[in-house]
Amino acid sequence: MKIQPFTAEPIRWVSEQGEPLQPLPERYTPDFLRGLYRDMFRAREFDRKLITLLRQGRTSFYAQAHGMEATQVGLARACRAGHDWWWLYYRDHPIMLTLGVPMLQLISQIMGTSTDVCKGRQMPHHFSAPSHNVVSISSSIASQVPPATGTAMAQKYLGTDEITICTFGDGATSEGDWHAGINMAAVKRAPVMFVCENNQWAISTGVADQTASETIHIKARAYGMPGYYVDGNDVVAVLEVMSAVAERVRSGEGPAIVEALTYRVGSHSNADADAEKHYRTREEVEEWTSRDPLDRIEKLLAHLGSPVTAEEKEALAQEVNAEVSAAIEEAAASGTPSWDVMFHDIYAEQPPHLAEQEAYVRAEQEVGA
Amino acid sequence: MSLIAEEQMARSPEVSGETRTINLITAVTEALDEELTRDERVVVFGEDVGPRGGVFMATAGLTAKHGEHRVFNTPLSEAAIVGAAVGMAVRGMRPVAEIQFADYMGPAFDQILSQAAKMRYRSGGNDTAPLVIRTPSGGGVKGGHHHSQSPESYYVHMAGVQVVMPSTPYDAKGLLKSALRGEDPVIFFEPKRLYRAAKGEVPVQDYTVPIGKAALRREGSDLTLIGYGGVMPDVLDAAQALAAEGVQAEVLDLRSLMPWDKEAVLSSVAKTGRAVLVSEAPRTANFMGEVAYSIQEALFDSLLAPVLQVAGFDMPYPYVQDKIYLPSGNRIAAACVRALNY
Repeated sequence: MKIQPFTAEPIRWVSEQGEPLQPLPERYTPDFLRGLYRDMFRAREFDRKLITLLRQGRTSFYAQAHGMEATQVGLARACRAGHDWWWLYYRDHPIMLTLGVPMLQLISQIMGTSTDVCKGRQMPHHFSAPSHNVVSISSSIASQVPPATGTAMAQKYLGTDEITICTFGDGATSEGDWHAGINMAAVKRAPVMFVCENNQWAISTGVADQTASETIHIKARAYGMPGYYVDGNDVVAVLEVMSAVAERVRSGEGPAIVEALTYRVGSHSNADADAEKHYRTREEVEEWTSRDPLDRIEKLLAHLGSPVTAEEKEALAQEVNAEVSAAIEEAAASGTPSWDVMFHDIYAEQPPHLAEQEAYVRAEQEVGA
Repeated sequence: MSLIAEEQMARSPEVSGETRTINLITAVTEALDEELTRDERVVVFGEDVGPRGGVFMATAGLTAKHGEHRVFNTPLSEAAIVGAAVGMAVRGMRPVAEIQFADYMGPAFDQILSQAAKMRYRSGGNDTAPLVIRTPSGGGVKGGHHHSQSPESYYVHMAGVQVVMPSTPYDAKGLLKSALRGEDPVIFFEPKRLYRAAKGEVPVQDYTVPIGKAALRREGSDLTLIGYGGVMPDVLDAAQALAAEGVQAEVLDLRSLMPWDKEAVLSSVAKTGRAVLVSEAPRTANFMGEVAYSIQEALFDSLLAPVLQVAGFDMPYPYVQDKIYLPSGNRIAAACVRALNY
């Protein structure tokens, strides 16, 4: 099937009952689908374990991606890991896990330990993976959009065959930086794929209070680029659409926007634990929980005669749990970065006034010791 | 916060008549609620301030009480929030724009710099923009650099906006009311680590606290400690520790940075001869540098020691080491000892 932009409804490949709505492309063997399922399952279990860590007080902040696994796994699988560049937003850990970023790296960041590549400088959930070309994440909404355009301009200038992927939520599309970055990308025909993970909630603000536009992807038309609309809970559709768009962008045809319609099943973060009490209904959450992306691929596998068994699921859960526990232990054992780390990396070379400030704290620390 | 610091901050000499004890965030909510009731030109808006009540619950219950046309959510755009508030204020309203964290004021910076701050001046005094921007600032909540910064000095430097930062419920309520009743744009920084930690008495009756006046938190004759915002409990802890050693520190809480109470500062330092200035904003080009300059300019001959600063360090606010970053009572007391032994 040729992937078309500006469809009225989200592109869907597999029905909510798990039946293919059109023939599956050749690569979707039961084994391949199982691989996608495993990635999604791993992300879901990661959230579950990390929320336990949070409840134990071993980290201070967590933003779960529950419900958004098909969008993020499909997107990560559509790009070239370790080759393409990523400007992500904070709720994107399933993308990073699928790209192959080690769990230890993510958990070290969340716990602020010595094994953290960011040296414990950012609040939890603001990852960075230089090994996988994932640029350090900022909390400041949509601030990643203009730089993503710049990275893509550099890729074009340098003559690489890399692309840049820039993700954001529905809320980000209201920021000025979003429009500025997207406009520039279109004018400069930069090889960047903008992906809106439309989970329908920006903390307590629903998407209807965010934009009067019928959808997000149609905004692309005004900027002079194609906009695609995909069912973000259908991992097959996501992978097919993202793959087609990524290759279009890679071939030099300029940027594109993809809107994946999904749902934030959990709260915004632990700082916002009572979403259903304050601003959305339990019925709405239940309706979307019934469209769970993992259920859909499980039903598809059953439909193809290769069901995921209870034993298989149990074994998978144990495997992920062991992986998370080992990473937590290793991170914790590495200890906390020493105090002087706070004085490094502010500039390439430490200027004299910071050397003075560091000496001041050293004297204080020595008295304390 | 130590019990003694809490007690000193709770007892304001300005409080009289019938009172109640509330915390700082409730003081903000009450000020908004009462001003919404008092003046129909007042509206309150920003990200998640509606039914959710704001991420810190500063606007809890206000939409239900005053209606969605007066307390409402906006799209996620700081530039649009502040810019819309400027336009409303020019057209005669009294908007309160909430920016969820002071760290997110970046996109609104141009609206503050080019529109709000210059409106009165560039229009020959004909157009004015009396809006209030409320925003939680400062560290101590394990927020890393995107949820902990103290950007007040940028705005002090921007002629045309008033800059306020209370540290007690009494001041928060009274200053927010003054901000809403005044004729200038006001940036109202709320030290988020004191939202629930700072408790104190507020009058039952309507009252205001004037912008531009410092509060005397403690009388003393040996040196003057000057601070504002989130560091005040630590400043008072330091003063208490010094008192145990027989040193009487006078403590001033600036409360307003623009305009600031130079008169109160100079009269105190003229009496004590020593000043230690405390803030958590990064040291270089920190507002306290201006306070130090003013002290030495006016009182050079009567100073007994150099004016000292205890400030944040010149770095993006760290996550793991935030306790080391913030001025502690011990660090403040050590600076005082240095001034006393000069």
